[in-house]
Amino acid sequence: MTGQGRGFDWGAFGRGFRVMVPLWAGVVPFAVAYAVTARAGGLSVWETCLMSVTVFAGASQFAAAGQFVGGGVPGVAAALALVGTTFVLNARHVLYGLSLSRQLPLSRWQRAVTAQFLTDETYGMVLVAGPRDPGGLSVGFLLGAELSLFAAWNTATLLGALAGAVLPDPDALGVGVIFPLAFLGLLVPLLVGRAALLVALVSGLGAWGLGRVLPGGLVVLLVGVGGALLGALISTRRAEGRA
Amino acid sequence: MSGWLIILLMWAVTYAARFVGLSLGRLELPPFWLAFLRFVPVSVFAALIVPDVLGSPEWARRLIGVTVGGALLWRTRNLALGILGGFAAYWAARLLGA
Repeated sequence: MTGQGRGFDWGAFGRGFRVMVPLWAGVVPFAVAYAVTARAGGLSVWETCLMSVTVFAGASQFAAAGQFVGGGVPGVAAALALVGTTFVLNARHVLYGLSLSRQLPLSRWQRAVTAQFLTDETYGMVLVAGPRDPGGLSVGFLLGAELSLFAAWNTATLLGALAGAVLPDPDALGVGVIFPLAFLGLLVPLLVGRAALLVALVSGLGAWGLGRVLPGGLVVLLVGVGGALLGALISTRRAEGRA
Repeated sequence: MSGWLIILLMWAVTYAARFVGLSLGRLELPPFWLAFLRFVPVSVFAALIVPDVLGSPEWARRLIGVTVGGALLWRTRNLALGILGGFAAYWAARLLGA
């Protein structure tokens, strides 16, 4: 039970679980806002919860919820654009996985399980707090941290989805403004340096302009990729200039 | 396309990204693609925010809401405070007839 044997290290699991508790305050309001937006967009309570259990990636869930808004369930082209945006948005998890697997050897089964629950917050916290744990960075600690956030995220989703079911007309409540506000909360901490500011400005205004001629989901996908290419071009050019 | 099918496709692409990263071990990505992945959230989030504010029939109120919310977020980095403050500003503008 202490990690020496072949048994699962529940001690490390508990410590990993607890290390994420302070972050619950950040994810709970976001999950509630996601659930209310998804319900307002026409997703059922169980679809809203299914997305939190399976996809379990806040920003892309919220982005998808926003695409459902208004028109209800999208057509095939819009749906594929939505899945494409999800992929582009979550491709960064490849980096977290690469980084984690370098410091923590995982068996195939451990990879299969820990992959499901990997998020930005858990990656960041485990990388910092994991090595300081008495047992070092371990599978138990990683899984504890992951499931801590998973529990909070899904509980808050369920409560938000149920609240959304009894709330009156979303327009009357003005909850539409919650969507841009929540994404602003994610964007603001990323606006470090001129390149990021420029990418945000060009992408935001570009999406607004393109939105007049193209469907919304496709715009987000095109501008998302285009803006990131622009940022990569600027930052790697600058790095070469310095070298 | 039905809601649950879209959700399962979203799950598939997200899980794939997580699993591939954990499985590739020591692969080194070129700096360009590392930077690309870093900028994706910046461009996508901005592309979600701006049309939702400026393209809305109630764009003036929403602009007031996100300006106040953005300022609060910039100063405090507190997500809940930014959302609640921005929502309050939006409602103040709405009640005042903006």
